[in-house]
Amino acid sequence: MVLLAFASVEGGQGQGMQLFWLSVGFGLVTASVLAISAVGLSLQFGITNYINFAYGDFMALGAYFSYALNNELLHLDIWVATVIGSLGMGALAVLLNHFVLAPFARRFHKTFYVLIVTFGLSLVLLNLEYSIWGADVRFFNMSLDRAHHFGPVLLTTSQIIVMGIAVVTMLAVHTLLKVTRLGKSMRAMSDNTSLAMTSGIDTKRITTITWFISGSLAGLSGSVLGITEGNLTPAAGELFLFVIFASVIVGGVGSIYGAMAGALLIGLATEVSAAYINPAYKLDIAFVILIVTLLVRPSGLFARPGRA
Amino acid sequence: MSGTWYYVFTLVFFFFDYFILAMGLNIQYGETGILNFAYIGFVAIGAYMTGVLSLPSSAGTGQYYILGLSLPFPVNLLLGGLSASAFAVLVALIALRRLRTDYLAMVLISLSLVLYDISNNYVPLFNGADGLYNVPEPFAGALHLNTNSFIPVFAGVTGAIALLLWFVMSRVTRSPAGRTFRAIRDDDVVAAALGKDVFRQQLKSMIIGSFYAGIGGGLLIQFSGSFNPTAWLPGETFVVFAVILVGGVGNNIGLIVGSLLVETLLVHLPAFLPAIPGAPGLIEYFDAVVVGALLMAMLWFRPQGIVPERVRKAARMGARERPADGPGGLVGEDVAALAPAGARAGGRAR
Repeated sequence: MVLLAFASVEGGQGQGMQLFWLSVGFGLVTASVLAISAVGLSLQFGITNYINFAYGDFMALGAYFSYALNNELLHLDIWVATVIGSLGMGALAVLLNHFVLAPFARRFHKTFYVLIVTFGLSLVLLNLEYSIWGADVRFFNMSLDRAHHFGPVLLTTSQIIVMGIAVVTMLAVHTLLKVTRLGKSMRAMSDNTSLAMTSGIDTKRITTITWFISGSLAGLSGSVLGITEGNLTPAAGELFLFVIFASVIVGGVGSIYGAMAGALLIGLATEVSAAYINPAYKLDIAFVILIVTLLVRPSGLFARPGRA
Repeated sequence: MSGTWYYVFTLVFFFFDYFILAMGLNIQYGETGILNFAYIGFVAIGAYMTGVLSLPSSAGTGQYYILGLSLPFPVNLLLGGLSASAFAVLVALIALRRLRTDYLAMVLISLSLVLYDISNNYVPLFNGADGLYNVPEPFAGALHLNTNSFIPVFAGVTGAIALLLWFVMSRVTRSPAGRTFRAIRDDDVVAAALGKDVFRQQLKSMIIGSFYAGIGGGLLIQFSGSFNPTAWLPGETFVVFAVILVGGVGNNIGLIVGSLLVETLLVHLPAFLPAIPGAPGLIEYFDAVVVGALLMAMLWFRPQGIVPERVRKAARMGARERPADGPGGLVGEDVAALAPAGARAGGRAR
């Protein structure tokens, strides 16, 4: 009798550990999606110095581009469609910046105006998505996933590919910023735009390129979010937005490496907590961490001096 | 009563209600410069609290919610407004004290989404995704109103409340506190240097504005008898911003024009158009696109709004304040005089 009870406790603990490791696996996947999106948001914030509140809708729109290429137009393989759809979102971001955001940012010096314009852009893009694709849940057309065991962690093929994409993207962004001339110019501009301009950096060109990268990363993260969640709705990006904001603020606004660290922290925290609380609230954990950060260390873990 | 009048009074109600909501956001954003992207969250708190205070105890109603006190109409509305204000204190203490504009906007929009998420999922609080329904219609019993005659009566009640709140708000904006708010909006560093406790004033502005938000929300749930979480996604905050930016930031007449144009004509009138067959919701979506695009065009071509903020005459330093000669009379605007030459009075774009 005693033995039996002991065995059941043992079994319970084993199950608990299994659940924990499963959620760690999911956490790493969520962190991958978050890292791509948070880096995209941070890059653009560092250069233009205002938050893009339409970023969530950039994500959803990029995902719908991939969806259209995958399901409606060319019936491309999901991963090919993701790459092309993301680059398409990058191109659209450049156009939106050129015709809408940049003129407002040039004309009005108070951040208010351009923030409200990005907020308005978010409403316009969201409702365009609704007008074109409707409110129904959409699904990507992809082959069935197989599960792989890595010790106690269980991951599907597409989840592994998503994590691979995130790692490659982070390495690419790191190389871009640290090695290339373009990246050095971006860092210079992010530190001090007027000084960069007087040093002969073509700030307009850098801004355009940054919007392209930011838009592409938004499209990429939106698509992989759709792939990992298994479905797609126009509001998906908007609801994910506060989790990105939490990652960015926890990491320190404007810091690229902070955004990566914040994404890892928030991704793991939301998914691991889902093993212990009602999963419907797992994203709200991100907000709790955000509030605690604001109370304890408002400038974030990797704060840049003189900001926030 | 014919169907046309039913529609007309519904529009009249929304006009007055959004005038109230716009006044609340205007004191926060237009007068004090707080970019409150969570505004609709305060409206929703007012709506839900008004609702659960007037509903009977939840047992046996098929809905799940807190309180259920069956309070009569103006009492529940007032408490709804006060709950929104109380929540504003909490938000301000955590977020407002230490964050600059865009940080604050990020935190507030996150807050708005989280409130939505919680109210949508946590059933015992406000009945989850179904929202509240069957909220009792005020006066219906006492005045023997049916569903049709309730609408014009309640539109009238809302109009009376709007006028009362307008009177109060115009007193607030003309008071020394109102001038301090505008000084903070124009340059918070200067206001702080002049000895104004910026956070305290912002807190005051948040409390007043959120009370208006709560009242506006409470009237919404009393009018329609129901309220559910989809009514408070961040896009709804944007509509209130559109009302005040189109009408004219920082002045109450502008808000009337904005409520009429944006809320009544652009947002609610198209809702009465017949749906396009085979494309449910298309008119609604397209309408939102138009509202967003209109606002951007407005900001570009006429950033001061249709009715610009009156450039208040600056009294010289030390000059005695002019006696106010009736409503609309000139009031000495000491803020502009105290601020350095570079800082401007008025909310115009540079």
